Amino acid sequence: MITERTYLKPANVKQAIDMAIANSSSFRFLAGGTDVLVNKFQGNELSDCLIDITEIAELKKVEASKTYVKIGALVRLDDLKKDKTLANHFPALIAVAHEVASPMLRKTATIGGNVLCENRCSFYNQSEWWREAVGYCLKCEGVLCIATGGKKSCFSKFVSDTAPVLISMGAMLELADVDGVKEVALESIYTGDGIAPRNLSKTALIQNIILPMANEWKSAFRKLRPREAVDFTSLTTAVSIDKSGNVRIVVGGVDPKPVLITGTTKDDKNELIKQAVKKARIVDNDVYSRGYRKEMITVFLNQCFDELLK
Amino acid sequence: MKQIKLKINGKQYVFLVNDHEMLSNVIREKAGLTGTKIGCEQGSCGACTVMVNKEPVLSCITPALRYDGAEITTIEGVSKNGELDLLQAKFVEKGSIQCGFCTPGMVMTALDFVNKNPNPSIHEIKDAMAGNVCRCTGYKKIIEAVAEYAEERRTGKPKTEIKKPTPKGSVGVPRPYIEATKKVQGIADYADDYNLKDVLHVKFVRGLHAHAKIVSIDTSEALAYEGVRYIAIGKELPITFGVLPLSQDEEAIAIDKTRYVGEIVAAVAADTEEIAAHACKLVKVKYEPIKAFLTIEESLNDIGTAEKIHNTTKFNNNVHKKAELRFGDQQQGLKDAEVKLKMDFEMIGINHGFTEPHATTAFWDENGLTMISATQVTHYLHRALAKTMEVPLSRVRVIKPHIGGGFGGKGDPFAHEIIVAHIARKTGKPVKVRLSREEVFLNNHGRHPTKMTIQLGANKDGMLKVLDAAVAIDGGAYGSFGVVTSYYNGVLLQAPYKLDNFGFVTHRVYTNKPQCGAMRGHGAVNTRFAVESMIDDIAHQIKMDPIEMRMKNFLDPNSLTVGKYRITSNGIKQAISVVAEQADWKNKHGKMPMGHGFGVACGFFISGSALPIIWNELPQSVVHLKLDFDGRVLITSGANDIGQGSDTMLAIIVSEVLGISMDRTFVIAADTLITPVDLGSYSSRVTFMAGNAAKDAAENLRKEMVEAISKKKNINAEELHFSENRIFSNDKSLDITWEDGVEMLVANRGAVSVSGKYISPKLGGDFKGAGAGLSPSYSFSSCVAEVKVDTETGHVKILNVWGAHDCGKALNPLAVEGQLEGSWHMGIGQVMTEEMQYYNGLLVNNNFLDYKIPTSLDTPPIHTNIIETIDPEGPFGAKETGEGAIHAMLPAVANAVYDAVGIRITKLPIKSEDVLRLLKEKEKLNQPEKVS
Repeated sequence: MITERTYLKPANVKQAIDMAIANSSSFRFLAGGTDVLVNKFQGNELSDCLIDITEIAELKKVEASKTYVKIGALVRLDDLKKDKTLANHFPALIAVAHEVASPMLRKTATIGGNVLCENRCSFYNQSEWWREAVGYCLKCEGVLCIATGGKKSCFSKFVSDTAPVLISMGAMLELADVDGVKEVALESIYTGDGIAPRNLSKTALIQNIILPMANEWKSAFRKLRPREAVDFTSLTTAVSIDKSGNVRIVVGGVDPKPVLITGTTKDDKNELIKQAVKKARIVDNDVYSRGYRKEMITVFLNQCFDELLK
Repeated sequence: MKQIKLKINGKQYVFLVNDHEMLSNVIREKAGLTGTKIGCEQGSCGACTVMVNKEPVLSCITPALRYDGAEITTIEGVSKNGELDLLQAKFVEKGSIQCGFCTPGMVMTALDFVNKNPNPSIHEIKDAMAGNVCRCTGYKKIIEAVAEYAEERRTGKPKTEIKKPTPKGSVGVPRPYIEATKKVQGIADYADDYNLKDVLHVKFVRGLHAHAKIVSIDTSEALAYEGVRYIAIGKELPITFGVLPLSQDEEAIAIDKTRYVGEIVAAVAADTEEIAAHACKLVKVKYEPIKAFLTIEESLNDIGTAEKIHNTTKFNNNVHKKAELRFGDQQQGLKDAEVKLKMDFEMIGINHGFTEPHATTAFWDENGLTMISATQVTHYLHRALAKTMEVPLSRVRVIKPHIGGGFGGKGDPFAHEIIVAHIARKTGKPVKVRLSREEVFLNNHGRHPTKMTIQLGANKDGMLKVLDAAVAIDGGAYGSFGVVTSYYNGVLLQAPYKLDNFGFVTHRVYTNKPQCGAMRGHGAVNTRFAVESMIDDIAHQIKMDPIEMRMKNFLDPNSLTVGKYRITSNGIKQAISVVAEQADWKNKHGKMPMGHGFGVACGFFISGSALPIIWNELPQSVVHLKLDFDGRVLITSGANDIGQGSDTMLAIIVSEVLGISMDRTFVIAADTLITPVDLGSYSSRVTFMAGNAAKDAAENLRKEMVEAISKKKNINAEELHFSENRIFSNDKSLDITWEDGVEMLVANRGAVSVSGKYISPKLGGDFKGAGAGLSPSYSFSSCVAEVKVDTETGHVKILNVWGAHDCGKALNPLAVEGQLEGSWHMGIGQVMTEEMQYYNGLLVNNNFLDYKIPTSLDTPPIHTNIIETIDPEGPFGAKETGEGAIHAMLPAVANAVYDAVGIRITKLPIKSEDVLRLLKEKEKLNQPEKVS
């Protein structure tokens, strides 16, 4: 039988979590859905119940105070630029959001959805028939990673463009779950395991993304892709420096999680970059080769530093 | 299932929808508003854009339940009371619409964008449209339309008056396609927009192995599934087919073995697509994989004891075709040449990327089989259906609806067409199939992956002495147009330059991958790239400007090539001169700083193949005209308008000959029951051949009218003129309206039908293979590209392209520009980003996210020039414009890269990493010199 499917639209966070508990055997939260639905068409997302959270008004606001700005998880990527605080204090976030996907997709895709974007791989983001023909990889319950031939680890790429910039500026997540609301560092939710790339509980929802104002982060980023629109990243680098000289380097698109290197402006920049390159577990699962992406980490990070230190 | 209310275009609807149903499905299938198109099923192409509560939404990835109670505007709701919205009017006026499949999405996106940004820059427009894929226009005319719309909307002043046909004549007047207003409103029907009563839906079970014997197929469980009506397997369709009589090598459903991953092994027809798809999973197929051949090299070599892909190949390998022709003495030429160059090139496969996926509906009734299909070749499909269904040709009717682009990719009879015809007969019901984008890629028939070694020799004065090409092309699992492709890779190198010593050999091999076939610029694009790159290299070696070197070698008009091609009109010198001047070549080429360069190249193509695919004595094109008391001339033609504007071209020619306005014509095209045979839209033949047939028909009709009027009014036939909807004598003693003339013609006779035809003259030599590439006329073109190369990353950015194309005479300059800009855009795609990447025979990038068609942001300013040379045999001097222009674009970009950074590109697409590697290699080579 074709399974009976359900679609739910909670009005608030509490209702969303309650619905999640009630459907805990097979559900998925849906924000913009621009990635989740495509994964669903391809048979990579099999949840019978979709809990569409896009009507939760409390998650659509941007609130600023002197010490932080809170960005609602459902703020659409295209709407970030409309907020003056973000435009004045975090222009790199607005700029990187503009580099995500296409203009039409940015009108639906949300910032919360983008930081939770499922990892991707040339051999995983395929139709069910294709994956059967290739022999199912580790990420879809197979026994072999097609990209590496290995049996242990999945290296599906972390592809959010906004997350590297957010992490580089010390972003926190405000998470709501069954047991209440808590704040965690954005980078802490990423596991580095390509199969299960996030450690969030299934019922957890991002309420807000919180950026600190006090540090006065200045950021620069670069994105590698063949076309100037539409494409997922093959490499996103972000560098932020705060007023105290703290440096946070984040590299996406080259590892199952964002690679984070911290230091200060007193450190040798090249050493920091070397650390980032060393930490990135790049495999051939992208339109660009492993070697090229690795080489470009250094080039792009240098460009980011040049932009910030000029 | 849930009930939802939607107000669509002001009308209230209540729908019962599945919980996970997408909005696009509700709009198209339940509300019947098929103007909203499905091109990619993943939000990558923008064709499905609609407005929901005044915000644009990609309806193919939007759950319908999200918007219960919403107000939706689809493309059908944009015009009001029969009046186009200003933006729609701009799309029509500027020629922004070719195939029209992307148009609804483009219009919705642009309406929202300009509403929010009333005074946009060109860059902002490009940025806003970057999520909407157009494969026909190169975006240029779309961007122009949006820019003018914004300006007029803001200022309230019309920037340009809508160009009306000048009173005297129709030829040479820029005009939108006759169906443009229909397309811009989303009311033109494409193949997937037909939903017949009680139709069954087909989905395919596709093979999992590149090369495998089918051991068994068990359909019992699938057949028992509720809603499944029929399951077809291979042995039910034993008759093979193919577009060429020489390559009837394809089975509609694999019978004993599969030859590529994804080949159809069973077809399930069910009440809904969802049921059919589910039942496909219940079909159990056992395979025995055998050795697969995935590369050109593997298939060229002796295969030992392994099984061949087709047992019909001559030797113990998988070579499908060897084509070789030689003229003069290449060995001597190479000995004599003062400068010699031997280079290897490698080009990967390319897909047509038309925005409309294949779709077909078939049914049988007392008249036999009727099929509505997205095809460029109704005639060949007609023949293939009669053959495989084993019925007389008189029992088959093929109807072409509006087509969302083809570029060669809808130019063969396809397995899915034969399968739905078969199942429709077996079930007695209409049967429909539409392919997903992934299936479109599996169907392929795209440009062949090519490896070649070319030897080119010249003297130091720049005169070319010899060209010898050894080419191998990867044909995939079946023949398609491959025999022709094999020849075109070689023969079409014998122009536009004089060559006394010219030869080539092409091997086309079968491999276990989706088949390759004809694609815009058929066969000649890849070898042209190689030769134009090498000419550039030799020019550099002999320190001669590459334009000067080309100028020395061009063939003259009214000359013969070494292989006996008859060159008549030839505007190559004008073409290269125009682009050189516009690009300020003299001051730019070789004179820019490191990383910035200019490149030039030329191209040449047939204007229709002089020989038909199926040898018979039928004319290549016939056009019928019917004229009755109402005064409107009905034009019927088998030519397939696939977005290139051939229906409009026919109307222009007929109205020109008869001196009547375009609204006194009506075109019915490509319905094999109603329209006379035209061989179809391939080999860039339609304007020349169908155009000539239309002209012949119109002249015959005019003759009939002249006879009737001169008899009635007792005026010499020679004195009668037809212009501006009037018929008059030299001294105006007779000056009557067209309608008066028509009355005289039909009096005591009734409706008049006349016919016109085109038969190519006998051309060419009498040696074996002389027919390859023969054409009654040839087009010529030239491009200059300007690039910047980032030496840190290897990234190449095209800043500008200038192009000029000799089309003989632009019957409709707006359409010609559109074809040229689309060709150049497609060339930019192949040279920069497009490639079909395989992993173990599986296509990795089988969607519009991963197959990288350039977006509006990736498309540089295109500067378009039409060169007119008035071809002696073309209709009003016209010749092809749909394909030839692409050739020069690819090498022009690569040559610009050479000018910018001194590296020679021999592999496409130009990847940043290859550029960077070559730059490093060059640096290494240069270092010792610096030290010394």
